[in-house]
Amino acid sequence: MTQVTAKAKTETKTKTKAKVKRSVTINPGMICQPIGAMQAVLGVHGAISLVHGSQGCAAYPMRMFNRHFQEPVEIALSSLGEDAAVFGGADNLVKGVHALVARRQPELIAVLTTCLSETIGDDVNGILRKIDLPTTLVPVHTPSYIGSHVTGYDNAVKALVTHLAEQTGPNSKINIAVGLLNPGDIRELKNMLAAMRVKAIILTDISETLDAPLILPRPRFPDGGTTLAEIADTANSIGSIAMCKHAGGGAVTYLTNKHKVPMISGSCPIGVANTDAFIGNVSHLSGRPIPDELRKERGRLIDAMVDVQFKIAQKRVAIHADPDVASGMARFVHELGMEPTIVATGTESKEFVADVQAVASQTGHEIEIISGCDLYELHEAVKAVGVDLLMGNSQAKYIGDDEKIAFARIGFPVYDRVGYQRRAIIGYNGGINLMDLITNSILEHGDAS
Amino acid sequence: MPLTLLECDKPIPEREKHTYIKKSGESIVPACNVQTTPGDLTERGCTYAGCMGVVGGPVKDVIHLVHGPIGCAFYTWGGGRRQNLSDNTEFHRKYCFSTSMQEANIIFGGEQKLHKAILEAYERFPDVNGVFVYATCVIGLIGDDINNVCKQASKEIGVPVIPFSCEGFRGVSQSLGHHIANDVIFERIVGTKEPDEVTPYDINIIGDYNIQGDLWIIAPLFEAMGLRILCTFTGNASIDDLAMAHRAKLNVMHCQRSTPYICQLMEEKYELPYMPVSLFGIEQTSKALRDVASFFGLEDKAEEVIESEVAKILPEIEYYKEQLRGKRVFIYQGAPRAWHWIKLMEELGMEVVGAATTFGHTDDYEKIIERIGDGALVIDNPNSVELREILIGYKPDLFISGLKEKFLAYKLGVPFVNGHSYERGPYAVYSGFLKFAKDIHTTINHPAWKLIEGRA
Repeated sequence: MTQVTAKAKTETKTKTKAKVKRSVTINPGMICQPIGAMQAVLGVHGAISLVHGSQGCAAYPMRMFNRHFQEPVEIALSSLGEDAAVFGGADNLVKGVHALVARRQPELIAVLTTCLSETIGDDVNGILRKIDLPTTLVPVHTPSYIGSHVTGYDNAVKALVTHLAEQTGPNSKINIAVGLLNPGDIRELKNMLAAMRVKAIILTDISETLDAPLILPRPRFPDGGTTLAEIADTANSIGSIAMCKHAGGGAVTYLTNKHKVPMISGSCPIGVANTDAFIGNVSHLSGRPIPDELRKERGRLIDAMVDVQFKIAQKRVAIHADPDVASGMARFVHELGMEPTIVATGTESKEFVADVQAVASQTGHEIEIISGCDLYELHEAVKAVGVDLLMGNSQAKYIGDDEKIAFARIGFPVYDRVGYQRRAIIGYNGGINLMDLITNSILEHGDAS
Repeated sequence: MPLTLLECDKPIPEREKHTYIKKSGESIVPACNVQTTPGDLTERGCTYAGCMGVVGGPVKDVIHLVHGPIGCAFYTWGGGRRQNLSDNTEFHRKYCFSTSMQEANIIFGGEQKLHKAILEAYERFPDVNGVFVYATCVIGLIGDDINNVCKQASKEIGVPVIPFSCEGFRGVSQSLGHHIANDVIFERIVGTKEPDEVTPYDINIIGDYNIQGDLWIIAPLFEAMGLRILCTFTGNASIDDLAMAHRAKLNVMHCQRSTPYICQLMEEKYELPYMPVSLFGIEQTSKALRDVASFFGLEDKAEEVIESEVAKILPEIEYYKEQLRGKRVFIYQGAPRAWHWIKLMEELGMEVVGAATTFGHTDDYEKIIERIGDGALVIDNPNSVELREILIGYKPDLFISGLKEKFLAYKLGVPFVNGHSYERGPYAVYSGFLKFAKDIHTTINHPAWKLIEGRA
C-alpha cells in the first residue's frame, strides 16, 4: 500500500507515509485477474472465456457479472480437479476446448489461467499450439496472485491484439481501448464518435453484449461486440487512444511498438477537462472537427454545474475506484467546486499516484492518495480526515453507513441500486449523470439527517 | 423413455448418462456427483464455495479469513443474503478477510503471512469468539501447514482458530465443501462447551442458513410448540451455539444434502437422534411439526400451531392456487430443494415438467424420480447450453433456479423465481410459502412478458 499526501503546488514536498503493510487484507479493494479478463472477452462478438481452473473460478465471476450487469453471462471451465492438480491439466484443457467448440461454436476462445493452473505449471501456450481447430485460441495469463481485475483486463486486451492484429492496409479508423467501464459508457462513447463522424474500433465493446435487448428469439451469441476482423484491423488504424491506461493501455502500447500505430494514453474522459482533452485527441488523430452537437452537450453540463453549485460546493469527497476512474473522478469533483480529499484505488500503481498528484498540484487541493487500498484502510482514512461524501462500489456502503456520510455508488460491482451500468460516467452527458448522482446523494443524505 | 441425449449434447455423448425422462415402473437414476465435463458452461460452485460460502460463512461471531489470492475472498463477501440482524451488526457480512497471497508468497510459502494475518485481524476485532481459516486452491498446492499455523495462533490470541482444508479443486462440486465444513465443526467445535442449563425440550435446527431470514419464521413455530432451540446450524449460529449443540435432544435436519454428515456424527458420538424434515409448503411443514412434536409428546401443541398458522394463509393460498393451476414449472436447485419443491408446486396445483440439481447425489435423484410425474425431464448438473435448449423446448411457465440462471431465463422470456437466495423471501414454512406463491404469481403474470417482440 502506498499512501501519499499531495499538497497544492508543493509537489516536491509530497510526503509518502511510511506505512507498515498489513498481512491481512480487510474488505478488499480489488478482485482477481480472471474476472477483468472475462469482461474484456465479453466485449468480443462470438467469444467465450474458458477458465483453466476449478469450479469457483468460473461460477463466482459469473455471479458477480450477473449482479452488476443484470445480464446472462457464459463462462466455460476446464474443470480441474484433484487429478489435474497432481498430474497437470493438459488433458482437461484439450478436452475442454474441443467440447466447447463442438457444442457452442464460438469464433474465439480466450483461455484464462488461474492461480491453480499457473501454480501446477501447465504450459497453456504450448498446449493450445498443438490444438488444430478452426476456432481462434488465445491464451491469457491471469494468475490471481498477481495484479488485480484491472491488470487482468489489460492482459486480455493485449493478448487479443497480440494474437489477432495484422497489418494489411490503412483503414482510416482510430482504435479506442475503453477499459473497465460500463455498457452505458461505451454507448456514450459511440454517440460522441458518431457526432464527430469518426470511425473507430472499440476494444472491447460490451455495450450490446452486456446490455442486450429482450427480443425473441434470442440469438446464440448476443448481437454486437467487437468482431475478430475489427481486432485484426487495429494494426491498420491511424491511431489509438487508451481511455483507461491501466486497463487497455497494454494493448495500444503493443500496437505502437509492433505496428507503429500512434497512441495517446490520456486521462479517463470523466468531467469537463478530461472530456475536452479526449475529444481533442480524437479530433487530432482523425482530423475531424469538433461539432456543434458536442459543444452544446458541453454547455448543458456546464449549465447544470452552475445550477447546483451551492448544493455541493466545498463538500469534501473520498473516492475509491479503479485507478483510471478514481483519478478522473478526482478532477471532476474539483470542477464541481468540491474538494477531492481522499483518492484511493485497490490496484497498486505508481502511475495512479502521479496522476492524482498532478490533479492536486493543478487544482490546489490537498489530497490523500492511497494506492493499493483495501476498504478498511479507506475507512480509517475517512475517519481520520472527515469527508461529506464517499464514492465507491456497493461494498463500500458500510463505510458511508457507519460514518453517517452521503454515499454515491460508482465502480464495480454496483448491485444494490439499479441502473448504474446503463448510465454513462464518461463524456459530457456522463458528467451530467455523475453530477446528478453526486448531488442527489448529498441531498438525500441531508433529507435523512 | 430411458436416458436421453439433448440436441446440444450430441458432441458430448457422456451427458446422456445424466439426462433421464421419467417413466413409471423404471428405476433409472441419472449419473451424478461426478466431475463436470471439461469445456462445460457450468453453473456449479467449488469446494471452497460449499465450505465457506454455505456452511462456515454464516457463523456470525468469528473472523472468516480466506487464505489465498484475493478473488476467492471477494466473491464470498456478504454473499448468500444470510441474515443475522438480531444481535450483531452484520459482522460476517460486513467484513471480508484475506491473506491476499502475492506471487512471492506462492513461491516462498504463506505460513508466516497467515500467522501474521490472524494476529492482525484479531487485534482489530478482539470481540470475535474465533477465527475460521479457509484454504483456497493454491494453498493446497504449495502445501502450507495451516493446521499448525492455526494451532499456534490460537495459543497466542486465546480463541479457537480453526482451519478448513477446502481447496476448490478438491471433489466435484460445492457438495464436498459442505462435508468438510461439517467434519471440522464437529471435530473442533461441537462438544467443547456445556450449556448453563438443559431442558427436555432442546432441539437444534440443522441445515438452515437463514437465507433472507428463513430462520426468523421457522424458529417461532418450534418455540410455540414449547421447544427451545439450542443451536441453528449454521444460519445465525455463534461459535458457542455450535460448541453446545451436542446437548440437544433432537437434531431437526433441514438441508438434507449439506448436513446429514454432522447429524450422523452427533448421533454416533452423543446418541443425539436426528429427524429429516422439509420446512417448505403447508403439507411438508405440518408433517415436520407433527413428527418433531411426536418425538417430544407435544402432539396437541403441534396441532394448535398448525391450525392457527394454516388458517392465516389458507384463503390467500387458495386464491393463488386458483391462479396457478396447471402452470408448468422446471426446478433447478442445489439438491434437496429440487425434491422438496416438487411437492410444493403440486400444492399450488402446478405441474413439474422437469427437475435438476447442481450437486445432488444418488439419494436426491431417487427422491426426485419417486416424486416427479411421468414424462418429466430429470437432468444432473445442466449447464447454460442445456438449460437454453430445455427452456426453449419445454417452454415452462416458470423456471425456479439461482442467480446465475436468472438472466438466461429472462432473456428467453421465461418467468423466473430465485430459489437459492430468493426474490422477496423468506420462503420457508407457512408465511414464507405465501410469499413464494405470491412471487410466482407476480412473475408469471408480469405485464412485461406480453410486450416482448417475437414471443409466441
